[in-house]
Amino acid sequence: MRKLQFFIPLALFLGLAVFLFSGLFSNPRDHGSALVTQPIPMFSLPELNEPTRLVTHQDLKGKVYLLNVWGTWCATCNAELGFLTKLRQQGINIIGLYYVQPADAAFGEKFEMAALQQEVARKLAEQGDPYQFNIVDEHRSLIFDLGVTGAPETFLVDAQGVIRHHLVGDINEQNWPELSAKYAALAAPVTSGGPHE
Amino acid sequence: MSSQTITVSRFFKSLIAGFFVAMMLIAMPSHALTDIISFKSPEQEQLYRELTAELRCPKCQNQNIADSNAVVAVDMRHKTLQLVEQGMDKSQVIDYMKTRYGDFVHYQPPFRFSTMWLWLLPMMLILMLALLMLKKQRQQPTVENTDDADLQAMIDAVRKKK
Repeated sequence: MRKLQFFIPLALFLGLAVFLFSGLFSNPRDHGSALVTQPIPMFSLPELNEPTRLVTHQDLKGKVYLLNVWGTWCATCNAELGFLTKLRQQGINIIGLYYVQPADAAFGEKFEMAALQQEVARKLAEQGDPYQFNIVDEHRSLIFDLGVTGAPETFLVDAQGVIRHHLVGDINEQNWPELSAKYAALAAPVTSGGPHE
Repeated sequence: MSSQTITVSRFFKSLIAGFFVAMMLIAMPSHALTDIISFKSPEQEQLYRELTAELRCPKCQNQNIADSNAVVAVDMRHKTLQLVEQGMDKSQVIDYMKTRYGDFVHYQPPFRFSTMWLWLLPMMLILMLALLMLKKQRQQPTVENTDDADLQAMIDAVRKKK
């Protein structure tokens, strides 16, 4: 009994130390996503270079792709463009979801598609263009339904339109191998009787 | 000579004071920039206030959406207002946010296997402390009943143990 009494504080201390130590390496931005394993939300939004064409969730079915939330105003996104362009050259499907920041009416700002087209074209010419096309979410409705907290964020979506991964932050050399493996597994032709998730 | 110095310094003092008053007047209106919302009923206003205080901004660390001006928090406030105006009750709005932003978005975590210790640990601690206090109280010898002989016996017992 006496021995046990001696060990209780030690055990408590060690438990607390391990818990706090592991906390040092956890990512406070990573708080899970409610969207993984869910189908991509319904939407109908204009394509950047052809705004009269509305892209819907139905149009994106049938192939595995990365949906990359970005904006020219976002420095990390701009830094990410080069790496994403390399991925596109490797045959990865990347679709852009353009995050339009709220225009401040008090400063006389208003949203103009033509100005955005020019700005995006300039930026992509400078940094590389990884996108098959861009969807413009002026009122951040799809962005809201996807639980996006900022930019950049990337969703891995399978051929059935189900979200398989939600990455907060940029895609880079460090985290791409893991995401790449998931992408490859989804993109591989399904063999009959093969293992299913 | 000296009286002149005094008037000059007085002049400068009032100049400096005037400058600070002017600065304060210029700075005043800057905090008047807040959302102005007109509610349809006091109940809706109350619900909106409760919700924006309880919903957590997913972009910022530990701020509710009422306190944050991050784009996502502003969008969430607008959505909250919209849903409240549509007649949704509190739990419906919270569920709406949770299906998009996850459990993180509400300050009250659900009871699940992964969050079990969050709920159980404080209760266990309180229970343990209560038991410990009860035990201590029972063990404590009452001073009135202890005479010198008993006391000596206790001292001897302690010494022997050592």
